[in-house]
Amino acid sequence: MKRAMALALTGSMVLSAASAGCVLAEGAGSVELNVTTTFAGEDGNAQNFKNAVDAWCEKTGNTVSDTSATSDESFKTRVVTDFETGSEPDVLFFFNGADANSFIEAGKVISLDDIRAEYPDYASNMNDDLIVDSLVDGKKYAVPVNGYWEAMFVNTEILEAAGVEKPGADTTMEDFIADCQKIKDAGYTPIACALGNIPHYWWEYSIFNHTSPATHLQVPASVDDEQGQAWVAGMEDIKTLYDDGFFPENTLSGTDDETFAMFTEGKAAFLIDGSWKVGGIASACQSDTEDPSTLDTAKLDKFDVTYVPGNGDRKATDLIGGLSMGYYITQKAWEDPDKRAAAVDFVSYMTSDELVPVFAQHTASALKAAPEVDASQFNSLQVKAMDMMSGVTSLTGAVQDLFQGDCRVSTFDGMPEIVSGKVSAADAVKEGLDAYNK
Amino acid sequence: MGTGIYKRKKPLFFFLLPAFAFLAVYLYYPFVMNIVNSFQDIPRLGVPASGMNTPWYSNYVQMFTDPVVGTAMKNTLIMIGVTLIGQVGIALILALMVDNVKYGKKIFRTVYFFPIVISATALGLLFNLIFLYDKGMINQMLEGLGQQTLIDWKSEGRALLTMMLPVMWQYVGFYFVILMTGLNNISDDLYEAARIDGAGKWQSVKYISLPLLHNVLCTCSVLAVTGALKVFDLPWTMFPKGMPMKSTFLTGTYMYYQTMEARNVDYGSTLAVLIVVLGMVLSGVVNRIFKEKDY
Amino acid sequence: MKKNKFHISTCLVYLFLIFWAMTTIYPIIWVVQNSFKAKDKILANSFSLPLGELFTLSNYKKAFNNLNIFSAYKNSLFISLSVCALVVLIAGLAAFGMARYRFRLRKVLYSLIIAGMMFPIYATIIPVQQMESSWKIANTSNWFLTMLSVILPQVAGNLCFAIVVLTGFIKGLPIELEEAAYLEGCNTRQIYTKVVMPLAKPSFATVAIFSFLWSYNDLYTQMFFLRRPEMRAITRLLNELTSQEGTNYGLMAAAVTLIVVPLLIVYIFLQKYIIKGMTAGAIKS
Repeated sequence: MKRAMALALTGSMVLSAASAGCVLAEGAGSVELNVTTTFAGEDGNAQNFKNAVDAWCEKTGNTVSDTSATSDESFKTRVVTDFETGSEPDVLFFFNGADANSFIEAGKVISLDDIRAEYPDYASNMNDDLIVDSLVDGKKYAVPVNGYWEAMFVNTEILEAAGVEKPGADTTMEDFIADCQKIKDAGYTPIACALGNIPHYWWEYSIFNHTSPATHLQVPASVDDEQGQAWVAGMEDIKTLYDDGFFPENTLSGTDDETFAMFTEGKAAFLIDGSWKVGGIASACQSDTEDPSTLDTAKLDKFDVTYVPGNGDRKATDLIGGLSMGYYITQKAWEDPDKRAAAVDFVSYMTSDELVPVFAQHTASALKAAPEVDASQFNSLQVKAMDMMSGVTSLTGAVQDLFQGDCRVSTFDGMPEIVSGKVSAADAVKEGLDAYNK
Repeated sequence: MGTGIYKRKKPLFFFLLPAFAFLAVYLYYPFVMNIVNSFQDIPRLGVPASGMNTPWYSNYVQMFTDPVVGTAMKNTLIMIGVTLIGQVGIALILALMVDNVKYGKKIFRTVYFFPIVISATALGLLFNLIFLYDKGMINQMLEGLGQQTLIDWKSEGRALLTMMLPVMWQYVGFYFVILMTGLNNISDDLYEAARIDGAGKWQSVKYISLPLLHNVLCTCSVLAVTGALKVFDLPWTMFPKGMPMKSTFLTGTYMYYQTMEARNVDYGSTLAVLIVVLGMVLSGVVNRIFKEKDY
Repeated sequence: MKKNKFHISTCLVYLFLIFWAMTTIYPIIWVVQNSFKAKDKILANSFSLPLGELFTLSNYKKAFNNLNIFSAYKNSLFISLSVCALVVLIAGLAAFGMARYRFRLRKVLYSLIIAGMMFPIYATIIPVQQMESSWKIANTSNWFLTMLSVILPQVAGNLCFAIVVLTGFIKGLPIELEEAAYLEGCNTRQIYTKVVMPLAKPSFATVAIFSFLWSYNDLYTQMFFLRRPEMRAITRLLNELTSQEGTNYGLMAAAVTLIVVPLLIVYIFLQKYIIKGMTAGAIKS
């Protein structure tokens, strides 16, 4: 029993020692930067980031404590709580939309203007017009690296079998519906999408088709105004496609993984998704993930990527996309005389003309003078993606990035209720807007 | 309580203090915060409240009118039934059988434990592939038997069954181990004596094993009820967001959904209060039914 | 006639036991066999053995190349063993008090424990993190403190369950032995260590195993508190590996195998002792 007591006591002593606070010794000459990014796990750029960090440490003699993690809901929560509890990193690569509002409001990160007051060359290689303004105060905080776009992937094998042309820059929604009917008649599923799981891309583009690049980023004030009606019309478009039977049989009960597999296995023709799926499709055509030489190029060649058919004021070549993340320098690092210069140097290095193209590849970047890319190192789908990007007339951010939290519930998670007619599109939009305006 | 050993209450303090100190700091205090949160307006997880709700009890009003809470409660009650009958029942049968067979006792004891070792996420993946629409194990087998069309095991009508079977299966092993431990605590002498008196196997079970397992069974039932109320991983991996059409939500998954996915943190806190209150009431009922026995 | 009937019932019992054993063994075989297949082959051939064309080691290559698996095992072991030890120690004391003493607050305390079993971790994690940050044990670069920041909430999470189970078992022990010890002059603490603990050994073993497993498999707390790559525990590490590639079933199967198989090997290797522990304490003589 005595031993047990002793153990319990040691336990409580450890606790009190910990609560008394442990001061950690800093390394003498060099600086240790705490860096949190989303370049981790299976992120396509995880290895690039690791290499770049190593190179930077080698060059400067500083060290980096990398606490990057895969970007998901718990990661976002973690970052926000860290700012709350004062355990934020020195440099953060994070979203520049509504997700960043809480710590920008609290003044926990330094704006580009303030940094440039002291380091005039900071991010001078970037085109400032492409750096996203904070939703809180309209200032710029995050230096972007790689962007994203959303577009429509197609399985050309199915299109051929159904006798349908690949949709292009001039294809309208009406043409698209006729194509879908032909594909359905040929015995395939026209659209790979799990409406009960990830309706996000269709949600965005269906609304975009009733707004325009100029007006898309406004969240309606009410369901009855022009913008609100555009949203309702967008939801109703999805319902029409559902009623026509263009989505998979199990679109309300299946997962996105399942419908994506339908697309890559040649059972469904169209897939609206993000630029990251270029890699996803290539790796679906590769039997050994570690070994790019196992890529089945014949299979990959059957896939193509094109514009989402347009409607009204939106041309098909108006895409959703942009630069949704960037490097922040926190106030904590800025006010630490040892870390300030190191943090600025780190971000400058990571966003240099040499490194940005490595991360950005076929997506957008904010560089003023983007260097030429060498196309020979890319696979056929990446080349097609670059071709498509060269015809883009505008890139607009996703309005759903502004529309976050419980306001999304009624039209995202509630999509099955809308398409199956249990809830009217107008009611669902209204419910979401009420929550948004609360 | 024949003797006076436990009349002196002083040592009791020593026995209970470490545990309750721990619980107070790591569970009760955070949960009190959670109750406070349920009256506040919290924009998102991890940020402080922006003030009280107007009216302060609005989340509770919402809870009583939210049709999904109704669905979740109904599903959870079904789940509790399934847990009590399916998990504890099957576990009891298996434990009594294993206790009474001659050969392979050890092997059975070892392998029945396996499902608990595998993490729920992995099991969810496994069952997803078994029930996969195009084409999991079951649909492949049915095709072999001549079924023409694919069956969507996750469609609204079948989802509940598809969700509960794996959950039931997974936890049978858990109760099996607990009941097995209970059986091991019973002295062999008692069985020996019964055999000498000419009792058969069934009679030993009926007059020795079952009565002596009474307390353990009561524990199992409490665990089953509370477990069903907060069961989360496996249903969530198989049916994220209560798919399809929010018909598979349980109280535990709905609370997670509101807190983490819908970012309705204060409402999620309200649901957590509901879970705990429900659990208290139901486990009280279980205790009353079983009437704790002391020796 | 009677003998024959007995045979049939024994056969039925075995049939049922074997059927259930199949359902518990097969999933593990299935996971392991698919971990040796390339991801694009799994959907079509998930139930065949990974032979010839199907066989590949690439999933494991990837897991071992990209990740520091051994240090993750070390962290996992340290966390889970500490949790397991602390839970057994603290819960055992409390369970003894709850099972044997009659006092005014007993019902209230018992209800508090039952309630504690139901607090969803999602409801308590944020205050816990804020608390630990203010104590400066969460999110530091110190290995021991980081481990501690995970161990403490996990202990609290397993404590209620352990107390409930142990209370149930201790109540079932015959009180006569304790009375005999008391008459021989033992005080209550000695009764606990010398009589109750040895008698309840099987129950302690059971509780220890469950708290170890739950701590080992608990991803959520690990996600919150283990951030630096070198401090990740195995479940956390492999989740990082698989979370982005939702469709890479091969890699997932390999990850699960790497999490589960060491546990199973340890379990089978130690099971002689574990089961001995579970049975030896029983009230013989």
